[in-house]
Amino acid sequence: MSGPADLIPRTPLLKVANLGAGYGGMPVLHDVSLEVYPAEMVALVGSNGAGKTTLLRALSRMLPCSGSIVLNGHELAGMTPDQAFGLGLVQVPEGRQLFDRMTVQDNLLMGSYRRQDQAAVNRDLDKIYTLFPRLTERRRQLAGSMSGGEQQMCAMARALMAAPVLMMVDEMSLGLAPVVVQQLMEVLAAIQRDGVTVLLVEQDVQLALSGSDRGYVMETGRIVHHGQARDLIDDPAVQQAYLGL
Amino acid sequence: MKAWQIGMVLAALLLLAGVPWYGSDVLVQFGINALLLAVLAQGWNIIGGYTGYASFGNSVFYGLGAYGVAIAMVQWQLPFGVGMVFGVVLAVVFAVLLGIPVLRLKGHYFAIATLALSQVMTAIVSNVGLAGQNIGLVLPPLNNDPLFYELSLGLLTVATLTIWGLTRSRFGFGLIAIRENEEGAAVMGVNTTLYKVLAFALSGVFSALAGGIHAYWITFLDPDSAFDISLNVKMIIMAVFGGPGTVLGPIVGALSLSAISEFLSSEVTSIAGLFFGLVIVAAVVLMPRGLADMIRRLRKTGWRYFSENIRAHRL
Repeated sequence: MSGPADLIPRTPLLKVANLGAGYGGMPVLHDVSLEVYPAEMVALVGSNGAGKTTLLRALSRMLPCSGSIVLNGHELAGMTPDQAFGLGLVQVPEGRQLFDRMTVQDNLLMGSYRRQDQAAVNRDLDKIYTLFPRLTERRRQLAGSMSGGEQQMCAMARALMAAPVLMMVDEMSLGLAPVVVQQLMEVLAAIQRDGVTVLLVEQDVQLALSGSDRGYVMETGRIVHHGQARDLIDDPAVQQAYLGL
Repeated sequence: MKAWQIGMVLAALLLLAGVPWYGSDVLVQFGINALLLAVLAQGWNIIGGYTGYASFGNSVFYGLGAYGVAIAMVQWQLPFGVGMVFGVVLAVVFAVLLGIPVLRLKGHYFAIATLALSQVMTAIVSNVGLAGQNIGLVLPPLNNDPLFYELSLGLLTVATLTIWGLTRSRFGFGLIAIRENEEGAAVMGVNTTLYKVLAFALSGVFSALAGGIHAYWITFLDPDSAFDISLNVKMIIMAVFGGPGTVLGPIVGALSLSAISEFLSSEVTSIAGLFFGLVIVAAVVLMPRGLADMIRRLRKTGWRYFSENIRAHRL
């Protein structure tokens, strides 16, 4: 690895080592290792079918895996999805998976479903409405009746309501207008400034790398490049393969 | 709930509890049937209404509860209460063992898989000597209709209080989240497999208790009547008619449909089924979300409510 992350010794928040996973005996991920440090934004990029979503599903324990996943000193391999969630590993899933027939407010409250500290939940709700003023206007509206961009905001807000240690955002830009995606990236930056660590999984390589600190590039189930995001953008191999330059 | 609503519910409960004192024998018998159907509809409400899994396997729980009581009382000479516990244990074991594989299925596939369960149970029980094979079991008679009536009413009250508690609990919110978007629920940290199996088992507990009371009341039990699929259809219709996923809807649905059905079969006898069918069709067309939704929305939208429903479903 290159860059300052190497020079200053820090303990990673998430350390994935030699992870393998697949569907019904068919391996998809091979020997994936990656690290995410506290309060970083890390991009995981790659084209269609590279295994990004499979990796996310393995990390969130929706899919069985081999190898090790350590979050904050806890070994996640062998845990169930709700146990991993309990340790603060929260997803913003691909396709948002909102509760369409519930109001925005109820969706957000479902995010805090597992939390016991009511006072902190109310505080976070206020904070999140400040972060997403659009959702404040629509808090009584049914989530399914909003535009795609607003739904994506709602999904991110719902994840934040779970007080995540690590927020994993899957294909945020899918089907959204570039201007909306740009707004969402700004929100992610604000979330990161607030101390939340973000793992951003994206097909849009340029977008993800331009907003992140570091990046990992996946291809056919393996990590093929990694490093500082700006170095990756300038890397001729990455440029040729993904940026069409 | 507001104070006047609680008052209304309590008044209705007192009125119902008093039926054996001021009502005729026929009314008490009708009441036992209607109340047990209401319990079944409430049981279905937990898995079908709140969790969103349209179970056709709840008549199996009913049958297991009935056989639990019958086997305990006839074969082992144990008291009724022990039989009820035995029936509930059978239902819970069944719910857990079959729920784990079957609850992986969704929508139509879940309905079909559970539909097969009651057929299978009929075939199995017909060959079990302990259960009287296909001849069935005759229970010791207890000629005390008021007691059965109050037992059924008590069971319905407990079932309804349980559901009311559910709607205010973390567990209940988890079930609703599963109904609204199962993947979303899993992503938000709901242990969906556990919750679904628990809901299925809880639904089974109430169905089994209803089956146990019914078996002791009727004093006769055979595989065909115990695992009757039309009973399952009935509880679904009643729950959906009243309003699935509401606390009181299934009760209102069960009691009103029982009354309509009783009235029709005494007035037009042989073609009662036809008229009953018409009532169901009209209900589905005019108020697909049940009485509870209609009452809630009728105040705001007035008669437009019905025309909107017709238009919304392109009928």
